[in-house]
Amino acid sequence: MAFWLHPKYYKTIQYYFMKDLGAPALFWINQKQKKRRTRRHSPYLGPPLQCARRLREIMTRHYYLARFAKSAKPVAWVTSGAPVELLHVFNFYTIYPENHGAICGSRRMGPELCNQAEREGYSQDLCSYARIDLGHLFSGKTPAGKLPKPDVLFCSNNICQTVLYWFKELSYYWHIPLILFDTPYNFLGIHEKDIQYMCSQFQEMIPELERISGHGFSLSRFQEIIGIARETSLTWGRVLETMKHSPAPMTIFEAFVHIAPIVSLRGLPVCLDYYRILLKELEERVEKGIAAIKNERRRLMWDNIAIWFKLRDWAELFAERGYNFVAATYTNAWAETIHHLNERHPFESMAKAYSLVILNNNLNHRLKLMEKIIQEYKIDGLVIHSDRSCKPYSIGQYGLKRLLTERLGIKSVLIESDMTDFRVYSEDQARINLEAFFEALEN
Amino acid sequence: MTRKEYLIKQKDEKGRKLFGIFPAQYPREILWAMNVVPVEIWDPPLKVSHANAHVQPYICSVVKLGLELILQGKCDDLDGFLFPHTCDSIQNLASIVYNYLGLEKPCYFFYHPKAPYRDSSRLYYLEQLKVLVSRMEKQLGPLDLSVLKQCIERGQQVASVLRDLYGLRARGELKASNSEFYQVIRQGEYFHPDDFLPLLEEFLAASKGQADSGPSVILSGILPNPMGILTFLDNLGIRVAYDDFMIGSRRLLIPPSDLPDPFEQLTESYFRMPPCTTRASPIAQRRDYLFNMIDDATGVKGVIFYMVKFCEPEWFDIPNLVDELKTREIPALVLEIELNQEFSGQVATRLEAFMEMIGI
Repeated sequence: MAFWLHPKYYKTIQYYFMKDLGAPALFWINQKQKKRRTRRHSPYLGPPLQCARRLREIMTRHYYLARFAKSAKPVAWVTSGAPVELLHVFNFYTIYPENHGAICGSRRMGPELCNQAEREGYSQDLCSYARIDLGHLFSGKTPAGKLPKPDVLFCSNNICQTVLYWFKELSYYWHIPLILFDTPYNFLGIHEKDIQYMCSQFQEMIPELERISGHGFSLSRFQEIIGIARETSLTWGRVLETMKHSPAPMTIFEAFVHIAPIVSLRGLPVCLDYYRILLKELEERVEKGIAAIKNERRRLMWDNIAIWFKLRDWAELFAERGYNFVAATYTNAWAETIHHLNERHPFESMAKAYSLVILNNNLNHRLKLMEKIIQEYKIDGLVIHSDRSCKPYSIGQYGLKRLLTERLGIKSVLIESDMTDFRVYSEDQARINLEAFFEALEN
Repeated sequence: MTRKEYLIKQKDEKGRKLFGIFPAQYPREILWAMNVVPVEIWDPPLKVSHANAHVQPYICSVVKLGLELILQGKCDDLDGFLFPHTCDSIQNLASIVYNYLGLEKPCYFFYHPKAPYRDSSRLYYLEQLKVLVSRMEKQLGPLDLSVLKQCIERGQQVASVLRDLYGLRARGELKASNSEFYQVIRQGEYFHPDDFLPLLEEFLAASKGQADSGPSVILSGILPNPMGILTFLDNLGIRVAYDDFMIGSRRLLIPPSDLPDPFEQLTESYFRMPPCTTRASPIAQRRDYLFNMIDDATGVKGVIFYMVKFCEPEWFDIPNLVDELKTREIPALVLEIELNQEFSGQVATRLEAFMEMIGI
């Protein structure tokens, strides 16, 4: 009698084979075969981080394995601010469309994919991450190979309401459940009733996640994941704090790239291990006096999401003048609140950690936070990215700029752009604004 | 009597407080019960100038006009503001007003849970009503629950007449023009119910009767501004049989509730309201709501989405709604507009082409 395995088990075996053997082997072969590209290295930048190779390996492996995840593991598409720790208890493979959007943006694929969505009727004024994702949905195009169709959509509106509207579309398109973690906005503080509401939601979503994943909830596993996530966040915070040193061992443009694991793999040991390695390297650089840029003369801060398609250009543009970005409200977001996580009170602490994030907080909070960072990191100038796609991050920036100038006398510039859709970015206008800013910094 | 004259009269003669209310969903009955007239701020007739120093060009005109109203000092007669948590833009506008402008007026915030709803959503909404009351009591004195019950009843009477008006209009049994209908309906954005109810009843009595037998359309979006669309349709003899406007059926047709506790009554009504993007209602619910309108109304030839530029919650749903309408062979037209702009020739041309396409 023939021995048949259920197809699900084939998928599982295939997934774990690729995870433990196939992917590392392929990555090794790929590295060996790859002709060494002699990428031009700016003479104004310090030596690149050694960790960058490990980062590439982790993220490539994550997206590569995604194509084998379907049917082997439950798959969830998740928003960047959602409490993913809960999903890991149920063994979900998680995909972050926002992270995918950033990858598309840095590969300059934004307009192409946005166009696909616009052809289907989506307005050009909508968030470009959403349009990229929808464009990928309609065209199948992605630099990541292939993204697995999700079994569930897991969304939190703690970063914006847009992700909710966007995930609603995905839910309708695929006829799959959308699970929302609804976080009351912090107008006047997050109170006991708000925490209770958020904790009740966790209790309500657990049976749903059990049903979708086929796995039971384990409190001890949840506590373990919470512990890893907190430790990872603290380590990421220490990574950022190395930039308090002058000269700084890293630029914020590098941090924008190295943020990927904490966004996409938070709560997993691989993520924590990675940041420990990165921290060690940065501490060594500080000790040896290795700077991220050759001649750090001015220290800058960035506000809002990165302009992904300008990362490299701008890293060089600023380094050439001896300007180094050493802080950003964006990178700080993953270090600011997750330390609230506490294994002894997993649900309450998770509610607190995720509802107090910068974008779920009033503008006064942002003002105070920026003042603190400016002082602690000895910031000389501020670059504010007015991101057409991101309303909650951008509305209020005019006031922030004015108030920070009045209170701290800091020089600042506001650049109108988008994180990925370079059709709305004007190089000429940006250059004019930046030149005036550079002049002000020198005076 | 102008809006301003009416409001001053409310304040001076009736001793009522005036609160500026930003869109969209809020428990107006609680405000009435606390002797407050909610004055909704949707599309004040202003030219935006000062607001441009506070918000970017890519922000919707509802937000800009509301902010402009404050910055031009036209809210001096108001005794406070209420900001419901409607969307990212109004959320941050609330913070700009409260944190940056330094107004010496009380600001209240109201967070309503977003869909998909669970049991916890209902409980939280009810709690939020009580939190709002306790904050307002510090300024306005204690809430009398019996007065709240009366106000809820009053609100239900208003909703009942509005349902009658919408029903008659859908069946072509209301003579009033499109423009007249919305002029009356929109007075509810600042009228006290004691004045609004008789106004509606009078309008109902005067307008009952067979409308011109002609084709009809359904309008969807935030609000009918520029009003030009209504006169344009009037001139063509096309009736707006029903609407899916945020200032219209989505908020006004509040389902009745007879629960004994007034807070539970408000909660039950809220969760039975028609679907709305500001509550993140699922697209399927919005689709079904539109289909029901089409089935219930007579002579519907198409749906016009009258869309405020940069309104994210609304724009996300459009492609799927248009596709769904296509599957039922119902033509749809999407128009992008900015508030208070002139009804442009381009919009008129697109409307004419649409009318031609649907055989009008």
